[in-house]
Amino acid sequence: MTHPPDLQELLPLTPTVFHMLVALAGGPRHGYAVAQEVEEHTGGYVILGPGTLYGSLQRMQEAGLIEETENPGEDGRHAGRRRYYRMTPLGGAALRAESERLSRTLTVAHARLEI
Amino acid sequence: MSGRGDPGRRDRIRSVYARLIAAYPREFRERYEADLLQAFDDRRNEPRFSGTVGGIRLVLFLLRDFVTSVPMARDADRKGRWVDVMSDILRDIRYSVRMLVKSPVFTVAAVMTLALGIGLNAATFSAVRSILLRPLGGVSHPEQLVQIYRKWPGMDYGSVSIPHYKDIRDRTSDVFESVAAHYFAPMSLSVDGRSARVLGLLVSANFFQTYGVTPVLGRSFIPGEEDVGPGDHPVVVLGHGFWLTRFGGSPDIVGRTLTLNGHTFEVVGVAPSGFRGPYNFADIPLYVPIMMQREIQPGYDLIEARGSNWMNAIGRLREGATMAGAEEHLDALLAQLREEHPDSYDTQLGHTLALQTEVGIHPLYRNAQVGMSAVMMAVVALLLLIACVNVANLFLARARERRREMGIRLSLGAGGRRIFQQLLTESVIFSVLAGAAGIGLARVTIHVLGNVRPPMDGPWDFGLVLDPSVLLYTVVVSLGAGFLFGLAPALQAAKLDTVSAVKGDYGGVRSRSRVSSTLVVLQMALSLLLLVSSGLFIRSLQGATQIDPGFDDPAGLVMASFDPGLQGYDEARSRVFFDRILEEAQALPEVRAVGLTDQAPLGLGGSDQSVSIPGYEFTEGERRSIMYHQVSEGYLEAMGTDLLAGRTFTRQDDDAGPPVVIVNRRFADRFWPGESALGKVVHTAGTDREVIGVMETGKYRTLGEEPAEFMWLPNRELFATGVTLVARTSTNPAPVLQSIRRIVHSADPDMPVFDVRTMEDHMGIALMPARLGGSVLGLFGVLGLALAAVGIYGVMAYSVAQRKRELGIRVALGADKATVLRQVLGEGMRLALLGTVLGLAGAAGASRLVKSLLYNVSSLDPVAFVGVPLILVGVAAVAVYLPARRAAGVDPMKALKTE
Repeated sequence: MTHPPDLQELLPLTPTVFHMLVALAGGPRHGYAVAQEVEEHTGGYVILGPGTLYGSLQRMQEAGLIEETENPGEDGRHAGRRRYYRMTPLGGAALRAESERLSRTLTVAHARLEI
Repeated sequence: MSGRGDPGRRDRIRSVYARLIAAYPREFRERYEADLLQAFDDRRNEPRFSGTVGGIRLVLFLLRDFVTSVPMARDADRKGRWVDVMSDILRDIRYSVRMLVKSPVFTVAAVMTLALGIGLNAATFSAVRSILLRPLGGVSHPEQLVQIYRKWPGMDYGSVSIPHYKDIRDRTSDVFESVAAHYFAPMSLSVDGRSARVLGLLVSANFFQTYGVTPVLGRSFIPGEEDVGPGDHPVVVLGHGFWLTRFGGSPDIVGRTLTLNGHTFEVVGVAPSGFRGPYNFADIPLYVPIMMQREIQPGYDLIEARGSNWMNAIGRLREGATMAGAEEHLDALLAQLREEHPDSYDTQLGHTLALQTEVGIHPLYRNAQVGMSAVMMAVVALLLLIACVNVANLFLARARERRREMGIRLSLGAGGRRIFQQLLTESVIFSVLAGAAGIGLARVTIHVLGNVRPPMDGPWDFGLVLDPSVLLYTVVVSLGAGFLFGLAPALQAAKLDTVSAVKGDYGGVRSRSRVSSTLVVLQMALSLLLLVSSGLFIRSLQGATQIDPGFDDPAGLVMASFDPGLQGYDEARSRVFFDRILEEAQALPEVRAVGLTDQAPLGLGGSDQSVSIPGYEFTEGERRSIMYHQVSEGYLEAMGTDLLAGRTFTRQDDDAGPPVVIVNRRFADRFWPGESALGKVVHTAGTDREVIGVMETGKYRTLGEEPAEFMWLPNRELFATGVTLVARTSTNPAPVLQSIRRIVHSADPDMPVFDVRTMEDHMGIALMPARLGGSVLGLFGVLGLALAAVGIYGVMAYSVAQRKRELGIRVALGADKATVLRQVLGEGMRLALLGTVLGLAGAAGASRLVKSLLYNVSSLDPVAFVGVPLILVGVAAVAVYLPARRAAGVDPMKALKTE
């Protein structure tokens, strides 16, 4: 598998970034929705506070993993004021690469543990 | 609902959070502030983060988020603002703590050194403040209070009699708002069948009003009512501390009765907790009006006795009145009194006034007290200075060790300012630690000092506390010290040039070695000054204990005091009681001689009487008053005082026989030089007495007193109700003390026996100032010696270690090891000797100042001035020799490569 050159520098992803990308893989979301989904996916293990959430979003945006987008048509509370994010193609590639890396590791782990 | 969605409710957590957002870098903040607050609101609306418990959970959650995300956001945005300084400080603190923990020996040594200096300073400052500077507690406008003394030839601070006090009170109202009087009186207190001797205060009825003290319960005495009618006012006001300890702070104490000397008294009030009485060294248990004097001191009638000067008078100056004005009024009063009562006033010279806020324990001891306090303060200040030099040196040495670290940090892009800030943080953290440890040490020291009591029964309590001003002083000193030591190495480090620092090549060696040379000299000089001064005081203490008190082995002399008058005995019954005790004590097999005295010598107090000698002309202003004791037969034998001529008292020296007196050698030499004193006449208190014996001169009030005239009067002719029995024993005194207690108890089971001890213990009273001063200074001296030794070793070793490379090169180039060693030793010792000379000069100057405080010791005592310098020079020599030998012995190749 070949990646764009700057993808290599982004890997491996930190768990927080990985979880956030997983959330955004389901479509554009606003920050709080990302945090909620991460918490749900990790069974309540990762709870993102405001600073961590937006700090990570800023970094991911600067690295080109995500970008801001229009409100896709939601109309929840304060929906008009919220900033929405979606995954970029680079973000998708990074998520895929990280998932494959993790799944290879998982396979080895499963074999050793005879699961 | 809270937050934006519900503006009606103020959410404190949200407003704090909104303010905390300022800690994020500006760019991040500007971009995400609304989002952060929105995310906050979203969280706040979740059920788990609502309500009070949820609020706490939210705070913890946000805190963790905040701590991790601020540095993260900052990393993303590296264009420093003041926020950087904030988080730099946080980072510096973390780093500093890590550095301090990493070198625990350095940290502990430096912290303990500075803590010692700070702690002892805080404790000494507290003690001096409590005893000398602090005005009487609980008193309103203490600066208006003036002590009034009668002035006699040879005595500036004489007490006043009750009639004299009344005249002052009634006839100086132009200058004094009111004048009160008080004095200590022992009384036998019994509550619920338990009796004990307490030392209370007899006071004028306006006592509390004059001091401006309002009772916390009940009332004070009533001026104009309770100061007339002897015996008519059996009322008592309790001291606050006594009320708490003896009566459990019972709120219904007012109206209850207690028994004093067998008389029933009613408790009318309780003094407030801030007011411990008119002395700063005692917590007065109870106050009784002077009109009850005859009940409290049976056998004495002082109420009408103009010549019996027992009381301390104190006046409150009227607004606008001056000390000088008060003195004029008192002079005018004295002139009137001279005409009214010529007998009582012919020799009084005037009055001495002293501001209450300035007298300390007593004006007589003020100079000694001020002097001693100044010495203590100076010694601890020196100790702190030495500690500071030590710590400065530790910091310097460490700064040198860390040059490479600093160089690396510089070359990695840290600015000089950052490194400066880092070192400063370290030293401030360090001094906060040292300050805290110092306060801990000060508390312990104050506690120990606060438990020091004079070895005599009484309500003594200096009320020592570590007060807020001392804490402030400590904080200022410790922070100041931290800045001082942080600054020098930090300034040096900030100037470092990267390349040489990383290479381990030290450009500033010359200026550095000048710094450390100065430190060596300073350390040596300060240590000497401290140690020589404390050495002098310790020698003085030794001198005091070697003074001949004028009687035999004090350890074999047993004493016990009792006062039948307090139990309601009249003179005849008391005499029977005394005889019974004397006979039974004499019959004890261990007792060789036994006698009674109205006052034991060396108890700091004493009585005196004016004398006139037929054929001797007193010059104008010559002292006429002579100290005396009233003693029984057997007393002088028990004391073991040498009889030089004539005889001592016998049972026959009573009021049936001719009046007699025994004098000491100094008395005889003063009034009958070159003649035998035997058969000569002494006129005193209206009686002509024949001298029947001459004793060797001894010490009577204090061990430090100048030799003084003294006389003994027979107590079978005169009478005193309170007596001290002294018994000479040839064996272990403990069982004799028990036997005497038993003898008194079997004669009257209700008779309180007090001050039961050996003369040696009793002399502790006279020795206490010297002992206390000596042991405190001794402790300071030992600490100082330890600090000085460590410090001198450190400074010397450091300056030699700095030259390790140079020495190694010289040895490598063929220099003789011994020569190198000798040269280094010589250079080090030159500095040490320079310090010694400076220190000795300072000590010689200082010792002139304290000369008056020394007993029996020359202020240039050879032991202090030679022994102490020798020890320190020895330490210095070892401190130079060991590292120098190591340096000279080092493998040249290693030395060249350095670390």
